[in-house]
Amino acid sequence: MEFKELPPVKEQIMKCVRCGKCRSVCPTFAEIKDETAAPRGHVFMVGMLRDGKVEPTEDVYKRLSNCLMCETCSVNCPSGIDIHELNAAARSYIYDKNPSVGKELVFDTMWTRPGLLKNSVRLMWFAQKSGLQKLGRTIGITKLLPGDLPKAEKILTDVPYRAAKNQLGEVNPAQGEKKYRVGYFLGCATNLLNPEVAKATVEVLTHNGCEVIIPKDIKCCGLPHIANGKMETARQLAAHNVKLFNSYDCDYIISDCASCSSAISHKNIEFLLGGLKIEDQAFEFADKTMDLTKFLIEVLDVEPPANPKAKKIRVTYHDPCHLANAQGIKEEPRELLRRIPGVELIEMKDANRCCGGSGTFSLTHYDMSMKILDKKMDNAMMTGATKLATCCPSCMMQLRFGANRNNWDAEVVHPVVLLAECYKKTPALKV
Amino acid sequence: MDFAAIKDELAKILSKDKLLTEELDLMYYSYDSSFFTQMEPSVPQAVVFPTSTEEVQKVVRFAYENNINIIPRGAGTGETGGCIAVNGGIVLDLSKWDEIVEIDARNMQVIVRPGVIHARLNEELSPFNLFFPPDPGSSQMCTIGGMVANNASGLRAVKYGTTEQYVLGLEVVTPTGDIIYTGGMQARCIKNVSGLNLTKLMIGSEGVLGIITQIRLRCWPKPKARGIAMAVFDQLDDAPATVLDVYKAGILPSGIEILDSSAIKAVNEFKPEINLPNCEAILLFEVDGNPPSVDYEGRQIKEIADRRARSVEWATDPQRMAQLWEGRSVTASAASRVRADGTRVFAGEDVSVPLSKVADTLRAIRALGEKYGIQVVNYGHIGDGNVHTAPVINPEIPAEVERVMKLVDEIHHLAIAMQGSTTGEHGVGVVRRPYAKQEHGQAVEYMQKTKAAFDPKGIMNPGKLF
Ligand SMILES: Cc1cc2nc3c(=O)[nH]c(=O)nc-3n(C[C@H](O)[C@H](O)[C@H](O)COP(=O)(O)OP(=O)(O)OC[C@H]3O[C@@H](n4cnc5c(N)ncnc54)[C@H](O)[C@@H]3O)c2cc1C
Ligand code: SF4
Ligand code: SF4
Repeated sequence: MEFKELPPVKEQIMKCVRCGKCRSVCPTFAEIKDETAAPRGHVFMVGMLRDGKVEPTEDVYKRLSNCLMCETCSVNCPSGIDIHELNAAARSYIYDKNPSVGKELVFDTMWTRPGLLKNSVRLMWFAQKSGLQKLGRTIGITKLLPGDLPKAEKILTDVPYRAAKNQLGEVNPAQGEKKYRVGYFLGCATNLLNPEVAKATVEVLTHNGCEVIIPKDIKCCGLPHIANGKMETARQLAAHNVKLFNSYDCDYIISDCASCSSAISHKNIEFLLGGLKIEDQAFEFADKTMDLTKFLIEVLDVEPPANPKAKKIRVTYHDPCHLANAQGIKEEPRELLRRIPGVELIEMKDANRCCGGSGTFSLTHYDMSMKILDKKMDNAMMTGATKLATCCPSCMMQLRFGANRNNWDAEVVHPVVLLAECYKKTPALKV
Repeated sequence: MDFAAIKDELAKILSKDKLLTEELDLMYYSYDSSFFTQMEPSVPQAVVFPTSTEEVQKVVRFAYENNINIIPRGAGTGETGGCIAVNGGIVLDLSKWDEIVEIDARNMQVIVRPGVIHARLNEELSPFNLFFPPDPGSSQMCTIGGMVANNASGLRAVKYGTTEQYVLGLEVVTPTGDIIYTGGMQARCIKNVSGLNLTKLMIGSEGVLGIITQIRLRCWPKPKARGIAMAVFDQLDDAPATVLDVYKAGILPSGIEILDSSAIKAVNEFKPEINLPNCEAILLFEVDGNPPSVDYEGRQIKEIADRRARSVEWATDPQRMAQLWEGRSVTASAASRVRADGTRVFAGEDVSVPLSKVADTLRAIRALGEKYGIQVVNYGHIGDGNVHTAPVINPEIPAEVERVMKLVDEIHHLAIAMQGSTTGEHGVGVVRRPYAKQEHGQAVEYMQKTKAAFDPKGIMNPGKLF
């Protein structure tokens, strides 16, 4: 579809009354503080592009990319404008006109070919473990990435040796009586960087009567592509995943990664595939998708076994943008934490403010990302928590780096990992 | 002076990060919140971000020597094109200069730089049990500098008045590049009648007399308790009548707001959880003070409103109060929700009429909307007769734009005919300039003479006010 004809571009730009409400909530604007980085500035510039008053150049792209795609502006816009979608659509349009080699390589080739991504991560792991970090950096994959990568490479730490997919089977039978067949959308980052989260997810789900299917050929959810203007690639990836999961006839399709679950949410699938030939299949898929935390509370209503002897732990929770803003899921992860014996949940100030990670933003805009991160860490550390929980691998990576950078020894965990620990010594439910 | 030369000279005065000169960047400074700039954007020649009085002075002196226009800007939430370079020039964006210089709690004062955001100031004052009472709907966005320059006020003006009541003194860089201190800027007293009142002259001057670089504000003790009464009416006229009844009973609420049926619809569309009842009009009364007096006044208001209202809810639960108040404060932009393919525009949005004529005005505005076939959402600070009108149109359809401009013109004339004013708080800027003569007569000449005394070359924010 032509840029001008895309629904948000066609219908929403004129709805902006320039009230500036979005200025007051945007984390990047709070750092840059000039109108070129204000969400309403982005809306304005997308309008200029649409009307042909500016050309789709890299200069425009650069300004639009001062954005974390955190969606905070969109959820706060009183006129109901999906500001981040407008931005993504515009970046995609500019991208089509100015293919840039470095980014092509990363986003088209690497993310769409899990093998390549895996090998790159593996290379980094090897470089770290063998003390050849310097060499790793010299030949490192990060050089393929654009922008601030040489500086940002240190964020990508501690790559585990075995990916989750190598440790988990395709079909994981329910323990006890089977209640549901659940497709597990195991995202790239959880698979490669946080296999312990994937194992915990499977553990918790099977323990609660779910048969868990992990299709072998899951491809990237497409969110990094949307954020970087590669809409067509995002569409192809989504279509592939739709067909793949539909072939398994699951009752639900869940993801423990906030970015993936928002990418496969109905809203986003409609944004990508609505109006195309595949629409019916796409909606059949999207109707079943749900974030893990919501599934655990709303559908399974999990009750971990009471344990009066459970060790007291102070936990604070960071809202991933892709969960709180994109899907409005704020209460479920908190409720999940509260249900875990021993957990005391302490709210931090501005828990729903972006951590500055936002997928690849920390890699492409390193300095600004660090400013945003340090504010987040100040608020987190003030709680006196010993664990910092969140539901997104990109946030986890960023927050771990933030903890490290601030000499804070709190552990960054996914709530499902804490939950899985309570089941370890308990037999499965017999229903 | 040509553009390249301006750019070079500014680069000598300010560091790179305080200067925008690329065409693409400058475009972002072609608008504020007004419909006018949406239709007629004007791009400046440069944008600067000074963060010291000396930097402001250097820029102003340079501009003065070279006859270049200067346009002060805060957050650009003004509704009148006030901060736009309609005749070209250098925009001074003061929003990055957001330092709270001193909180003098013992003397109940605070000194701020112009870019401090209103909501943040009150957050910082809160631990001292103090607050700066004027509270515009744009509290989270607008700057204190912009508030002073526009003499902004807000939902609680009924009891607390406008910004001017709280400004003790100012530091101003004049259009010729002098730095002056007005009123009690350099004193710490609260009462001060010494000298011609230049502070009051600067307040509401919309950037045409100088650049406000520092502000000494008086703060008030924060009230301990608060309550909100929501009265639901089936007849529009009953709402303004109830307001008068409440005043007659000797009660001064901190705020009285009205939402008409279309405003109610807009709020419910935006935030369904607020769940306002469908009716012709809703009044929100806010009372604040000590707990027993809040309770007493709340009950009194309920009793009075019950005479005409379908129902009255008295809320003291913080969550419900926040919800109701939020419902009102988002109406300004949520108004767009009443039409799927339309948006509210900020034009003719701020007339002010005598309390006795509010009902007539609301009815007349509705009739005008019908005459031009344009949906209007009415809401506003009914407690002081300040009616906000939001025409909802599709700005991409020229015929609708043409009709809305006629509607707005009639609304402005209506206000004057009602013995009111074209603007109760948002100011004149570019958009209400055509009515200056009608509103002020020969006084306009004296305004112009005053400006000329400050600004002999006419470089400070030209094209505004008169
Ligand atoms: C949704 C919404 C709700 C609003 N609600 C209210 C309300 O309830 N009450 C109300 O009064 N207004 C309201 N406004 C209007 C506006 O927010 C106020 O007028 C506000 O004070 C403008 O502040 P600003 O920082 O955005 O100033 P700008 O818009 O940037 O500038 C406004 C004017 O002040 C001048 N100026 C700015 N800073 C300085 C300075 N340091 N020195 C000299 N001149 C300066 C500019 O040249 C311009 O003429 C609302 C606006 C919006 C969008
Ligand atoms: S909050 Fe929405 S309507 Fe207001 S300026 Fe931002 S995008 Fe425009
Ligand atoms: S998505 Fe986030 S970073 Fe981007 S403009 Fe909106 S609030 Fe700012």
